[in-house]
Amino acid sequence: MSIQTIFLEELERDALTELVNIGVSRAASSLRKMVGEQVLLSVPSVEVVTRQGAATLIRERENGELVAVRQDFEGVFSGRALLIFPQANSMALVHAVTGGALSHGEAVDMEDEALAETGNVVLNSCLATMANMLQKPLQMSLPEVLRGDGASLFTLTDQHADGGVVLFLYINFAINDRDIRGYIAMLMDLPSLQALRSLIADFIERVAGDVG
Amino acid sequence: MTDTVDAAIRPENAGAAVDLDALRALAGPLFDALAGSGVAITVTDPRQHDDPIVFVNAAFEALTGYEAAEVMGRNCRFLQAEGVDPQAVAGLAGTLENAGSATVDLLNVRRDGTRFWNRLNVTTLKDAAGRPAFRFATQTDVSADYGDEDLGRELRSTRQRLAEAKERLRVAQTVAGAEGAWEWNIAQGRLVADARFAGLYGLDPIAAANGLPTSAFFDAVFAADRLRLKIAVAGALNGAEVFARDYRVLVDGELRWVSAKGRTYLDAQDRPVRFAGVLADITEQKRVEERLRIAQSAGGVGSFEYLSGFGTVEVSDTFCGLLGLQPATSLPVRTINAVVDPEDQPLIGGRESERLGPAFHEFRIQRADTGEARWLACRGEHQAAPSGGVSFIGVIYDVTATKRSEDRLRDLAAALEARVEVSNQERDRVWNLSRDLLSISGRDGAYRAVNPAWTALLGYEPVDLIGSVMGGLVHPDDREMAGELAAGLRTGEAVTDFDCRVLSKDGELHWINWTALPDGDFIYAVGRDITQRKLLEDQLRQSQKMEAVGQLTGGLAHDFNNMLTGMLGGMDMGRRRIAEGRIADAERFFEAATQSGQRAAALTHRLLAFSRRQSLDSRPLDVAALVASMEDLLRRTLGEQVRLETDVDADLWTAVADDNQLESAILNLAINARDAMPHGGRLTISARNVALSAARLAKSDRAEPGDYVEIGVADTGMGMSPDVLSKVFDPFFTTKPLGQGTGLGLSMIYGFVQQSRGHVEIESQEGAGAVIRLFLPRHRGEVADLVEETDDRAEGGAGETVLVVEDDPAVRLLVVQVLQELGYRAIETESGREAAPILQSARAIDLMITDVGLPGLNGRQLAEIARESRPDLPILFMTGYAEQAVDQSTFLAQGMEIITKPFAIDRFAKRISAILRRAEAEQA
Repeated sequence: MSIQTIFLEELERDALTELVNIGVSRAASSLRKMVGEQVLLSVPSVEVVTRQGAATLIRERENGELVAVRQDFEGVFSGRALLIFPQANSMALVHAVTGGALSHGEAVDMEDEALAETGNVVLNSCLATMANMLQKPLQMSLPEVLRGDGASLFTLTDQHADGGVVLFLYINFAINDRDIRGYIAMLMDLPSLQALRSLIADFIERVAGDVG
Repeated sequence: MTDTVDAAIRPENAGAAVDLDALRALAGPLFDALAGSGVAITVTDPRQHDDPIVFVNAAFEALTGYEAAEVMGRNCRFLQAEGVDPQAVAGLAGTLENAGSATVDLLNVRRDGTRFWNRLNVTTLKDAAGRPAFRFATQTDVSADYGDEDLGRELRSTRQRLAEAKERLRVAQTVAGAEGAWEWNIAQGRLVADARFAGLYGLDPIAAANGLPTSAFFDAVFAADRLRLKIAVAGALNGAEVFARDYRVLVDGELRWVSAKGRTYLDAQDRPVRFAGVLADITEQKRVEERLRIAQSAGGVGSFEYLSGFGTVEVSDTFCGLLGLQPATSLPVRTINAVVDPEDQPLIGGRESERLGPAFHEFRIQRADTGEARWLACRGEHQAAPSGGVSFIGVIYDVTATKRSEDRLRDLAAALEARVEVSNQERDRVWNLSRDLLSISGRDGAYRAVNPAWTALLGYEPVDLIGSVMGGLVHPDDREMAGELAAGLRTGEAVTDFDCRVLSKDGELHWINWTALPDGDFIYAVGRDITQRKLLEDQLRQSQKMEAVGQLTGGLAHDFNNMLTGMLGGMDMGRRRIAEGRIADAERFFEAATQSGQRAAALTHRLLAFSRRQSLDSRPLDVAALVASMEDLLRRTLGEQVRLETDVDADLWTAVADDNQLESAILNLAINARDAMPHGGRLTISARNVALSAARLAKSDRAEPGDYVEIGVADTGMGMSPDVLSKVFDPFFTTKPLGQGTGLGLSMIYGFVQQSRGHVEIESQEGAGAVIRLFLPRHRGEVADLVEETDDRAEGGAGETVLVVEDDPAVRLLVVQVLQELGYRAIETESGREAAPILQSARAIDLMITDVGLPGLNGRQLAEIARESRPDLPILFMTGYAEQAVDQSTFLAQGMEIITKPFAIDRFAKRISAILRRAEAEQA
């Protein structure tokens, strides 16, 4: 019934969640500096689903048009990262990260730019942190803004179209006490997931050893 | 409560705690109740020097601003303000000394120097020996009563503080999961925690306050949760700013759920320096949540919470599962409603949502994952939300099975209706096509509906019958019985297998066999035409009778042949003797022939009686005289061994019967009785008057209740077994050896009595004799007729003209001869056709003698013709056997008589002369 197949064990999901949390916290720190506002980012949990499943999740949870910032990454594990907002939230995010200094018209003009920048900060921090924590380097492409529904975001035509998995995460932006909800999706193929898994396993082993 | 009290006692004062136990022993549980209340309390110990304070509660601390530790061991007087009324103080001491309790208002001063009026209420508690053990004092700020404005203001603010303090205390006490705090210094690798944290983790609070190795954060954690917590903490220590984890701790063998929420604080270089947070005990919450979760998932109940105006709904996993959606904590309204069948009310935000209060509705969905159609029910409540708007909180659950069984039931009901419709049609078909008479009547017996068979069979249209009462068409002879059964139907008794005759519209009789059943307000009746069957039954009976007659004939032929031999032979011999001239010798043979003829006549008479076709000459009859006349004959018949007794009532009524038949019957019975008493015995012939009731006549088919003359023939013989008794009236039944009896005796008697509208009873027990009772109807008229003919002699005629109609030449010859010899003039005709013109002519005719069974016009019809022109013409019918003549009373009109063949010439002559004399007398 669930579209969540067991791609990752519970501990592995925990670990991945924490890695992403560390990443988004970095991003929040960057955003704080950028906008001079109180910004807090958190990721409550991660789900690992098929692309079809990710499309279903996003379709069920978000009815309207979506805006996404996309960055491809390559390294020991490869794939594509997406920061997704409901269209309605994206303007709020733009306003929030621009500190309300812009008029509505200006905000609309700047929307894609602001989104791309925010997305870049968030995704980059996430992936970079993960790479650092996992002690492996990653190459990131430039951010790109996409619009469409869930299906179009996840059924991208590339060689990994089938058989790939999606790490699907909620992300909460708390900016000046304003909550904006979004999603982070990381599309990768199974070999990359395997690579990520073994890195996560190393991380868990270290944690079990060093901490405390 | 105890915790509350102890909390107010400073641990430093160990002595006070000891005293407290003694105090509890004296004051009982009430003490704890009071101490825990908001009333300020002090307890002093008068046994110690200067009556020192040994206990104060939290309310006292709030009232005075002194902490318990500051006042322990001191006398209460330190509270007294300057200028306190010394008399009041002295009065208090004195009253206490004498009465043990006292109330006084004293101006007191708080720790912060503010003054207040303190109403003291002091009670002395005594120990077992009666000595004062404790003084228990409540203290109340009554400054407002003294009107001191400053004091009043102070009081108000004090009370405010007091309320706040109490509230804090209450919150701290009631919230069991009061939060503990921790701070993890990442650089130093030290963990500092407060007492509450230490409590939850089972750590020494002082050590925790002073700092522990960070491993202490994991020590108490339940093993299964430890690694996950470590991972989460690793995130926090590596810069994940938001930390939130629920996990279990195992302290003193008790597993408790805690919820840790924390933040990681970074330095200017974004390096994590501090990881701090709060820890709460959520065991109870978890338990409730778990219970709720189990209940909901076990019951398949999905919960949701929706606040109007929002685009999303908080939902449970089961909620998502029921709709076929992926588990989520919140879902857009549109996603949820998209699953609902467009024709049904949406799950969220339907019309119902406008109204506050409980809401319930059922709706169809198409599961998002499988597309399967299901029925769900939603039960919830719309409430005004504290933040404005309307909240809709509720649950959904699957009711498909219920709905399906409802549908099945509905289908079943529809199918049933269809079947009922079909069976109605079948019923209508049966109703319309049945050849049986079907009717529905009300309990009043009136027809409500009749089927077409009534028209087909009886010719009645429904309109002729509807509204009329059942039984109206029944033949009068059957009406009484039908009426009784109809009355039974009205009281709920069913009728089965009742045969009666029903008149059709054109007057034809139909035998109908009825079955009727009262049910509810109606009586349902079915009538089957059994006329044909009855006819067949009659034919069968007749053929059985014919068979019997055949048997009889076989037996009788012998007798008849004997008799005929006697007659023919006798006459032949007589004729020869005459031819020889030996006339005196001839007489003997003619006598023998006559006797044979008479025996033959008697036999046919009896046979006719048996077949009930006999023409009985029923007349008023003096039974007593008849019995008396028979005594001699009987005695000779019975022989020496049987004693005859007669017992006849003196005032015996006159009966109506054929005297010859009665004589024959009595003789027959006497012979039977004799044969039943081979070794002798007593035969009693009795006669008496009786009135028979309908009940007694139940088995009789012709007798009617009323007065009867009973003739009993009782013997003291061997009697009869019940088996024999049940057959005695059957024709040809005999207990005698073959050849000794015809078996017709009793059945012939039965036939005679029945035909006489009388009744027969037989009573017998084996070895105890038998009684046979004949009941003959009482005569209700003159007995004078009786004697008229007895000594009547045949007188010669005086040339009167007699018309004779007889088709048999031998009989005609005989009759004409007799008439002529008697001196009458006879007109001889052989048929009605010949006689009618004579009757219609003007010829003088004094008497008509006619056979009944004539070809063409029968005797009776001829009599009608005669009477048209000659109303007073006497008529004498002759009959050997004529069915119509059996019942003489209806056959004969005034001035008509009947004589049965064969008859003796002498008797015939007497009848003719008697008739003519009567006619003469009437004319004169």
